[in-house]
Amino acid sequence: MGMWIHIMRVAQREVRRTMSHPRYLLLLAASVVFTFVFFATVTRDGQPQRLPIGIVDLDNSYLSRRICHELNATPGVCVEAVYTNHTEARRAMQRGVIFAFYEIPHGTYNEVLQFHGPHFSMYVNSAYILAGTLSYKQLATMGMLATGAVQREVLRKKGYDEEHIMGIIQPVTYDTHNINNPWINYGVYLMTTLLPAIIAFLALLHMAYVVAIERGDRTLRRWIRKAGGNVYSAMLGKMLPYTLWYTLLVVAVNFVMFTFLHFPLQGSWGYIVLASFLLIFAAQSAALLIAACLPDAPLTMGVTTIYGAMSFSLSGFSFPVESMPLFFQAFSWLYPIRHYFLIYTKVGIYGQGFDTIWPQVAALVAFGLLAMVGSVVLQRQYKDNRWYTEEVLAI
Amino acid sequence: MKQVLMNILEVFQIELRRVFHDKMVILIFFIATLLYPLIFCGIYYNENVEQLPIAVVDEACCEASKRFVHKLDATPELQVAYRCMNMGEAERLMRRRDVHAIFYFPRDFSSLLATEHTAHIGVFCDMSSFYFYKAALLGGNNVLIDEMHTIQLERLERDGISGRQAIEQMQPVTYDNITAYNPSGGYGSFFLPALMVLVMHQTLFLGICILAGAANEHRRSLVLIPPHLRNRSFRHVTVGRALAYLTLYTPITLVDLWFIPRWFHLPQLGNLYNIMVFALPFLLAVIFFAMTIGNIFVRRKITPMLCFVFFSVILFFLSGMVWPHCAMPRFWQAFAFVFPSTPAMQGMVKITSMGAELHEVRFEYLVLWVQAGFYFITATFSLWFIKRYKLYNAMNSLKI
Repeated sequence: MGMWIHIMRVAQREVRRTMSHPRYLLLLAASVVFTFVFFATVTRDGQPQRLPIGIVDLDNSYLSRRICHELNATPGVCVEAVYTNHTEARRAMQRGVIFAFYEIPHGTYNEVLQFHGPHFSMYVNSAYILAGTLSYKQLATMGMLATGAVQREVLRKKGYDEEHIMGIIQPVTYDTHNINNPWINYGVYLMTTLLPAIIAFLALLHMAYVVAIERGDRTLRRWIRKAGGNVYSAMLGKMLPYTLWYTLLVVAVNFVMFTFLHFPLQGSWGYIVLASFLLIFAAQSAALLIAACLPDAPLTMGVTTIYGAMSFSLSGFSFPVESMPLFFQAFSWLYPIRHYFLIYTKVGIYGQGFDTIWPQVAALVAFGLLAMVGSVVLQRQYKDNRWYTEEVLAI
Repeated sequence: MKQVLMNILEVFQIELRRVFHDKMVILIFFIATLLYPLIFCGIYYNENVEQLPIAVVDEACCEASKRFVHKLDATPELQVAYRCMNMGEAERLMRRRDVHAIFYFPRDFSSLLATEHTAHIGVFCDMSSFYFYKAALLGGNNVLIDEMHTIQLERLERDGISGRQAIEQMQPVTYDNITAYNPSGGYGSFFLPALMVLVMHQTLFLGICILAGAANEHRRSLVLIPPHLRNRSFRHVTVGRALAYLTLYTPITLVDLWFIPRWFHLPQLGNLYNIMVFALPFLLAVIFFAMTIGNIFVRRKITPMLCFVFFSVILFFLSGMVWPHCAMPRFWQAFAFVFPSTPAMQGMVKITSMGAELHEVRFEYLVLWVQAGFYFITATFSLWFIKRYKLYNAMNSLKI
């Protein structure tokens, strides 16, 4: 019971301290809102639309102009310009004006008429991976359709019936089922993990910051005395207000995404709330360990930043962790957002329950051990009276 | 003139001393700039998703389906990890993330093939990562096209069309796909060249803000302006400090943009001259930009870390490397050019990955010089403004 009183007392002190300079809290909350608005507005179409592509038309025939028109009519790409030679188009691609171009060689139309199999070339700039892949997909689809159209014409003339023609043009085909993201909406990949990741990163930095300034202002003893000399209560009391605040932010962001933007959420809301809470708790625990071990405020912030800034890559939402070198696969376990991402895919996409997400939940709870180790380190520093002289001098 | 040079040199020396006396700045300037590129090169060393584990549910169990499964297994992208009896089993594997795609051959697969109809194969993709989807699609499509051709030839032959005629019928139009500048479509080759620029941008920006904060923290806001220069030109102070950072970052540029990409075999078509010439306005623009923000907004040493670092993610996105600029709302297109990182990343990627010459990145190069000029004026003006209206502490309530 006494412990709870101490925790609440420290939490109260913490709230008072934060509220005396609310600018950081407000600024960080504003950052979250800004980030959300940014990603929601940028990815509002789901995929980049009307990517500029080019055509090198050496044929200048009815056919090449028709290809140009038809490409322009597909929603994914638009024909930015028709070039007269290859070099010009390559330069345009190098300047980033177009992401891909079709080259229609001289005499194409004649070859089609004579049934000689004309040869097209497709150039795609894959240095921009998303734009390159998408424009390639459009061009390739266009190519398939053109091939099919020519085949159908010829087979019709040979007297085949429609059903038989389809059997020859397309003997096998895929029925693709993109589970729970049938629109291949890029925003769903990005925002469901990136926004919690940013909030967790801010929670991590903020936690390191509030401990670091106690050290910087030489008020560590005062803080721990408030908790009756119990470092664990002091730690928990310090965490509590921020845990609640940042959990609230993650839940709010998730709520907007799943309710208003209709991102897929198959499983229960309860698990998402649990995961959000544990994500923040785990990030804070990591911050406490770093802040307890390092001797001064600048170093604490520097190390926390270096650790935290890698969380975006190691969460595996963009490039899968499973394809990284083994060392980094293990390293990614040190990042709470990795576990959160796995929970989200299991709950949000596959609608799973506790029976499959328990390893990740356990891993996030285990981050609490880091805070415990941090507390032990702090306790020893407190008992050694290491700060005493410093504080007396400061007064 | 001599006095001007002396002033600048003095500020230059003071600034260098401040950098080397600050642990935090050393950590950011020298360790982070080396550590991050190395770590990220390690993370994305594999470039692509290879041997993605998939499950196959073969209810048809015919010759064609078996051949199809073999070919799937043979692609570099996919690996048939499980052969399941039914969809339920495969779905369970997918939910446990043991497999990331399921290929389902329905019972009527062989009969449809035999009767010369279109046969369907169900593909279920794990959409938790864009790259799982991409690997499944790429590997699957290559096999599909190959298999389609085999079956087409068989069917045409049955109808008495064979040899060259059948091949021409099968492929009336042929295509070459040339994937330029990143032939394997690797994530590392796409991400890392831009990331190097971003790392330099962010470390330089943070370091300068921290130094500004450190000066303000000791209630010595005027440390930014040495005593005997107080009533003189603030330009000298700005130039002197900028030269100090420029000196420090020249070797770092060389390492991050020249040596590390070489060691890790990233795309490197640009030559050293172009890279360094392009880096000059970039560094200057970042330096003056950071000085402006630091002079006006930063009050404490450790707060820039708290408030600015997360912005890296947004800067990367704003650069148009992922989501092309032309597909962004107008407002964000314009907003992106507030930051030197946008033209720098675009230009540097064109130089290093696409082998562009300086005249081909003229736009980005000019934008960087314009930014450098503009932020030089704001950086100088901010010092003058603070001094003129004695705002060293008055503006603290607005600062972070």
